[in-house]
Amino acid sequence: MPTRFYKVFRDLTSDSSKSLMLVLSIALGVFGIGTILGSYSVVQREVKDNYMNTVPASATIEVDSAISKEVVDSIKSISGIAEAERHASVVARMKVGEKWYPLLLFVIDDFENKKTNKYNLLSGVANPTEGSMLVERTAYGMMQAKEGDELLIKTANGNPKKVKLTGTVHDAGLAPAWQEQAGYGYISLTTLQVLGETQGFDQLRVLVSEQTESETHIQECAQKAASLLKSKGYEVREIQVPPPGKHPHQGQMTTVMRIFIVFSFLILILGSILVATSISTLIVKQIRQIGIMKTIGATSQQIAGLYFLMILLVSIVALLMAIPLSRLAASAFTNQLAVLLNLEIRNASIPNWVLLLQTLAGILIPFAITSLPIIRGSRISVKSALDNTGVNLNLLHKSRWVIRISQLSFLSEVARLSIRNVFRQRARLLMTLGLLAAGGAMFMTAMNVAEAWNENLKLIYVQRLYDLEVRLNEPIDVDSIVAKLKRLKGVARVEAWNYTSTSFSKDAEFEVTRTYPDKGHGSFSLQAVPIGTKVLNPSVVEGSWLQSPLAREVVLNQSSRGYLKIGDSVKLAIDGKPTTWKVIGFTMDVGSPALAYVSLDAFVEVAKLSKKSNLLRIGYLDRSKESAYAKNKEVESLLEKENAGINTTIPVWLLHNAIAAHMKVLVNSLLAMALLMALVGTLGLMSTMSMNILERTREIGMMRAIGATPTTINKLIIFEGMLIGALSLIIAFVFSLALSSYMGIKIGHLAFRTPLSLTISIAGVAIWISIILLGSFIATWFPAKRANRITTREALAYE
Amino acid sequence: MNSTQTQNRIELTKVSKSFTLPSGSFQALKEVNLTIPSSQLVAITGKSGSGKSTLLNMIAGIDKPTDGHVVINGVQVEKLTESALATWRGKNIGVVFQFFQLLPTLTILENVMLPMDFCNSYPKSARRERALSLLELVNIREQADKLPSTLSGGQQQRAAIARALANDPPILIADEPTGNLDSQTATSIFEVFASLTKSGKTVIIVTHEKDFSAYFENVIAIADGAILN
Repeated sequence: MPTRFYKVFRDLTSDSSKSLMLVLSIALGVFGIGTILGSYSVVQREVKDNYMNTVPASATIEVDSAISKEVVDSIKSISGIAEAERHASVVARMKVGEKWYPLLLFVIDDFENKKTNKYNLLSGVANPTEGSMLVERTAYGMMQAKEGDELLIKTANGNPKKVKLTGTVHDAGLAPAWQEQAGYGYISLTTLQVLGETQGFDQLRVLVSEQTESETHIQECAQKAASLLKSKGYEVREIQVPPPGKHPHQGQMTTVMRIFIVFSFLILILGSILVATSISTLIVKQIRQIGIMKTIGATSQQIAGLYFLMILLVSIVALLMAIPLSRLAASAFTNQLAVLLNLEIRNASIPNWVLLLQTLAGILIPFAITSLPIIRGSRISVKSALDNTGVNLNLLHKSRWVIRISQLSFLSEVARLSIRNVFRQRARLLMTLGLLAAGGAMFMTAMNVAEAWNENLKLIYVQRLYDLEVRLNEPIDVDSIVAKLKRLKGVARVEAWNYTSTSFSKDAEFEVTRTYPDKGHGSFSLQAVPIGTKVLNPSVVEGSWLQSPLAREVVLNQSSRGYLKIGDSVKLAIDGKPTTWKVIGFTMDVGSPALAYVSLDAFVEVAKLSKKSNLLRIGYLDRSKESAYAKNKEVESLLEKENAGINTTIPVWLLHNAIAAHMKVLVNSLLAMALLMALVGTLGLMSTMSMNILERTREIGMMRAIGATPTTINKLIIFEGMLIGALSLIIAFVFSLALSSYMGIKIGHLAFRTPLSLTISIAGVAIWISIILLGSFIATWFPAKRANRITTREALAYE
Repeated sequence: MNSTQTQNRIELTKVSKSFTLPSGSFQALKEVNLTIPSSQLVAITGKSGSGKSTLLNMIAGIDKPTDGHVVINGVQVEKLTESALATWRGKNIGVVFQFFQLLPTLTILENVMLPMDFCNSYPKSARRERALSLLELVNIREQADKLPSTLSGGQQQRAAIARALANDPPILIADEPTGNLDSQTATSIFEVFASLTKSGKTVIIVTHEKDFSAYFENVIAIADGAILN
């Protein structure tokens, strides 16, 4: 081994705590990248695999009456259609404890030979008998039940009935039940009839034979099938074509993971900047050694090679440390995501490209970032290296503005000197400020986003002045019911609305939506609102809210507005028929799917309804969750007594919980990353300050020789650290605003379908100021103590 | 003058050096003309700030003249690039510093082997033996595996001389090599330098020590950047 390599090893091992810090700085980023990318690669593959294994229907066609087997057979003969199957889905309610929750019932035609949207039977019977039900595995928690138990279920037209839970399935096409705050069950048509419903299989699921990922081709095939259904006398209500081959949460997952990937690379970059500052420290410390090595024959390339070898060794140790740990963490994170996405991980192997990318990133990023100080340090001339005093006198001489600022009359001598010292090493100052500002910006961003998240969750209550939504089976005359509800103690407001699923009418014969089989993801509804509503406080962002009872005007929310503008005319399908409306406003709704608001009176006229309402919205005086529990129960029993025909009830707290459950993991993970940033930032400040003090050892000795006390030296150094910290705070704050805004848009769209408002977390700013001030103090206190420990004679003799 | 003497001759022609400082320009050397034949022990003397270290830096290629030429062994030093200069210096000039300047994390033996590594001047297998023989020459072979900090000042300076000789350079320059040593140790160091001239090396020493004038074959006195004698 070349003799010079001994120097590299000894330099690394002579200050093992510093070397460990270098290793950790890189290892943190490599660990983050490995964990996130490892998990991302597995989950991405497994989501697709799980979802495609269910053989998701290319399209679902909803009609007005039961579809016969003969019709299914004739649909199968249409060219381009590979498979067709009858199906029905019903939204019922289940009683858990004293509360009613939504229960989505999937009515299966042939349990033994299911062709589309298959599930995986985990236990129990494959073919549930009359009065029994299979349950999606994630729904047991919501049901507070287990296989073999009985569950009280009420459908829209039936009385509450107990159904036995006889089997458990995994349905990878559904989001976890706890996330949707609903139950999932699979029953036969006879069981549905036992539950009091008379409907048959009113949905037709089809699989296309080719171009299975082409939305256009699927729509064309579905239109052909719908035409055939129409020719057989069926009224086609809607064609649902969810994004082909995409799990309902795939888009969310990809966005979330991309945010994490960016964060983990940023941690590696910050860690590498920290390594660069540490290498700068080492070069400053060894500048005379560099001069000596050059004197005895070393070239600049050989010198640079020594420090690059050092970085390589540090990176290798960091990789050896981080890779196995990151694989363990990736496995744990994958399991967490699998729970969030209701996945079954069949193959947990992390692809080799992750290891390759992790290794390349762990070596190349630190190399690239440290190359600047290394190349600059190694190219120093022999004379400069041997004469080095560590201070760029010329630069300070040119910085007249620094001199002028430091001459402000209210500043003490110590403060003046500190200000000038801060600007002596510009490149290093920039690097430190960059490190601290990036750490601070990301920390404050995470805190801001977390707070904006909570603020937005609160908006759910601000925009909804009701606490319970009751969906009825069909429009009824609700005047007397409304009057009775209003008389209930604690009820503040009651309004009767109407709602229906809708779509933008196109030139095609039948309306196409992007709704998934769970009825929630991708859905688009029309809500008919009484003019002057007191239960909705819409956030109108453009145009105006509904004013005229009979005007054919519509207000669209952010999920439905697309490229429409105020004054545009839109065709909305009501019961499959196109109706024309003029766009007068746009709203930002928190936690709503795509919605179109129209006047209730105009809607009744357009839809030719004799009875007005199928939706009740009830607001309470006390809006707390605890009070709402009790009130909801009272309202539901009153409605049952009045035979109102309840389809579903959705308490607002349930909606709040469902949205909170969707993204809590992301917000918490962001905060965890923010803490890592804070750690890396503070280490960076400590490294820089110790470097600043180290190279001024002689100067400090000189100051002591001319009478500076240890207290003065302490003040000088600590004030300098604080000043750097304070400068970084300003930059960090500005960057955090831009970053918070960007992250708020991304996360807000994922969770609420609206950007999170830019919120400044006072706590976040306060914590970061404290971290920086405390960190600056600690980072400077130790070097100050060290500087004072050296005797004046030693300091003056310092080489 | 034999052929070795011609080859290793040091010639400075009208060498000037000025520095630009924030306070203004300062001329450290003024049109210095100097010829040093080989195999001599030469002293450069003068007061602090007289220009003697700058002159030494010119000869060692540590610094370049503002004007004039420095020719050593037929090579015009100031025309070499930094990289070429480093390799040339490593093979042709051995430098000994006042404060020894051994690398603290390498053993004495490794410090002596380092120049051979940088200049790739001896086969790898021969470097250890050569380093040990140089340490033998300066009488500290038994200290070979120790770190510099465990050695006395005199021993460290001997190690520094062994390091300066590692690539067998024809010229050795030393900037106040005994300035940090007691007189007894200083004497022993001068004896080592004197013995080197006998083996054909040219040794140039910047010194204030008048007690050792008997060792020098040539004394160059310098004041205000100009040679007096």
